Amino acid sequence: MHRKVAFIIGKKRLKRNVAFTISIYILVAFSIIAIFSPVLTPYDPYTITGTPLEKPSMGHILGTNDLGQDIFSRLIYGTGITLFVGFVGGGLAILIGTFVGIVSGYYGGVIDEFITRGIDLLMVIPMFPLLLVLASFLEVSMTRISILMGILGWTMFARVIRSQVLSLSEYNFIYGAKAMGASDSYIMIKHILPNILPLIIVKFVFAVQTYMIMGVGLGFLGLGDPTTISWGQMINRAYTNGGFALGMWWWLLPPGLIIAFLSIALSLGGYSLEDKINPRLRREIEIS
Amino acid sequence: MSLLRIIGLKAYFPTQDGIVKAVNTVDLEIEKNERVGLIGETGCGKTVLGFAIMRLLQPSTNIEGRIMYNGKDLLKLSEEEMRKIRGKEIAMIFQNPPTFLNPVLKIGYQIAESTQLHQGLDKKAAKEKAVGMLEAVKIPLSSKRVSEYPHQFSGGMKERAMIAMGLACDPSLIIADEPTKGLDITIKMQIVKLMKEVTRQGSMLFITHDLGVAAEICDNIAVMYAGELVEYAKTEDIFKNPMHPYTRGFLNSLPSRGLKQIRGISPSLIDLPSGCRFHPRCDHIEEVCKNWHPEMVECDKGHYVRCLQYG
Repeated sequence: MHRKVAFIIGKKRLKRNVAFTISIYILVAFSIIAIFSPVLTPYDPYTITGTPLEKPSMGHILGTNDLGQDIFSRLIYGTGITLFVGFVGGGLAILIGTFVGIVSGYYGGVIDEFITRGIDLLMVIPMFPLLLVLASFLEVSMTRISILMGILGWTMFARVIRSQVLSLSEYNFIYGAKAMGASDSYIMIKHILPNILPLIIVKFVFAVQTYMIMGVGLGFLGLGDPTTISWGQMINRAYTNGGFALGMWWWLLPPGLIIAFLSIALSLGGYSLEDKINPRLRREIEIS
Repeated sequence: MSLLRIIGLKAYFPTQDGIVKAVNTVDLEIEKNERVGLIGETGCGKTVLGFAIMRLLQPSTNIEGRIMYNGKDLLKLSEEEMRKIRGKEIAMIFQNPPTFLNPVLKIGYQIAESTQLHQGLDKKAAKEKAVGMLEAVKIPLSSKRVSEYPHQFSGGMKERAMIAMGLACDPSLIIADEPTKGLDITIKMQIVKLMKEVTRQGSMLFITHDLGVAAEICDNIAVMYAGELVEYAKTEDIFKNPMHPYTRGFLNSLPSRGLKQIRGISPSLIDLPSGCRFHPRCDHIEEVCKNWHPEMVECDKGHYVRCLQYG
């Protein structure tokens, strides 16, 4: 009896969260593609395997680019770096943001004031233009760019997390933990962190999405690492080397569509998670 | 030597409206294995006194006086040293357990937390300890309950869990801050019985406004009014022979004694009445009460009163 009830509830939950399930499947699929891209690609994306500017055919599903490299293989190879930029950049930003936010919100007072003003200062700096400037001055690699993104982008998350921790720190159970002889760092890690973890996860998903698109954007502007294959760089190449002028949509569109698709998947995941942690955001009518 | 000796303790909170004098020169002693009840109406500073002993008040609070615990002045200890005392030697049981339990951590983890912090128990040993503690506070199916979350516990069970948390490290002093508040009468009596049982060893400062509960548990009772103690005696003396007009009024306000209220309202802790703090509400007021602030005097053996009628 009990098991049956649990099963029904489980099924219902799954149904209600179709969006989340889909987004997880898509993410897993993309991760698999990224990891196994050397196996999955029909050609080596770096070598010239056909005549330049071929139309899609059985040999080259999406044709070849201006150098005669297989576009489909390059598309698959670009998955890894896009995900990498998103996850490293987003992960780093969340990590720094969480740390600063918790410290600021928990200690309050002068420390909080100092950190908050610092964040205000940093927030004034527009991130994308700064990245443009840095990317054109520094020797660029995608790793470096994603780390830069993380270092530049944590302020927003620190703010959100600080405000949560600020109210959380006044909760009685924090006093309870203090009365038990817990140290500040112990309270922050064991009592506050689990309480804001759902928020952190949601913010992380959106951060990954933002930074992924930003990475592609930088690539499109020609500021990515020219030696690694990325979707942004592919669009840039198609745009500048004749793909656009010749109307070769099979060169220009796939990278754009795929980044849009991945971005939508992440949004779906993020929004359905957000619904979960804050049911008030749920607008759909539940059928029971 | 007494276990805890509070000498001239003051706790003042600076606020925008003025200084809240929540605790005014309190002297109190707790012997080993003695259970002292601290009673008084809401807002008289009872809880602040408890928090002051634990040093859990906001850093902006002005605290004066001495709190001698086993010969050490708690107010002079570093935060690090104080942390070793909290939970291990002096534990606190709070009122309103729903808010004092972390909603995202398992009950068992929270109960055994202090043993992990102070005795360095590993996860498995801590869990066993938690099961044992839950058994001690008479929660059925303790080995299953130990991995549940606070929202799966009822109000009375949460209070039991709270007591288990306080007792996990066998502290030598327990500060219980109205553990029976907000519980319905049958649960309350169970909790009182339990508190009596589990605190047989060790001292306790039992903060409450429930005289019946205090009578059940405590050896001695201190009555607090407007931030200061007004009477201190053995529990039976307080009930048989209450001396301070406030204590008498308090007793007469019990339902069993006619529910007679004390006239007036309790004074604001920001501007306290001159002279005797209780004079605006007292039935035996004389002219001198308005200007003269009485001292605690011993009237009978071990029976202290702060009233001009007696000294």
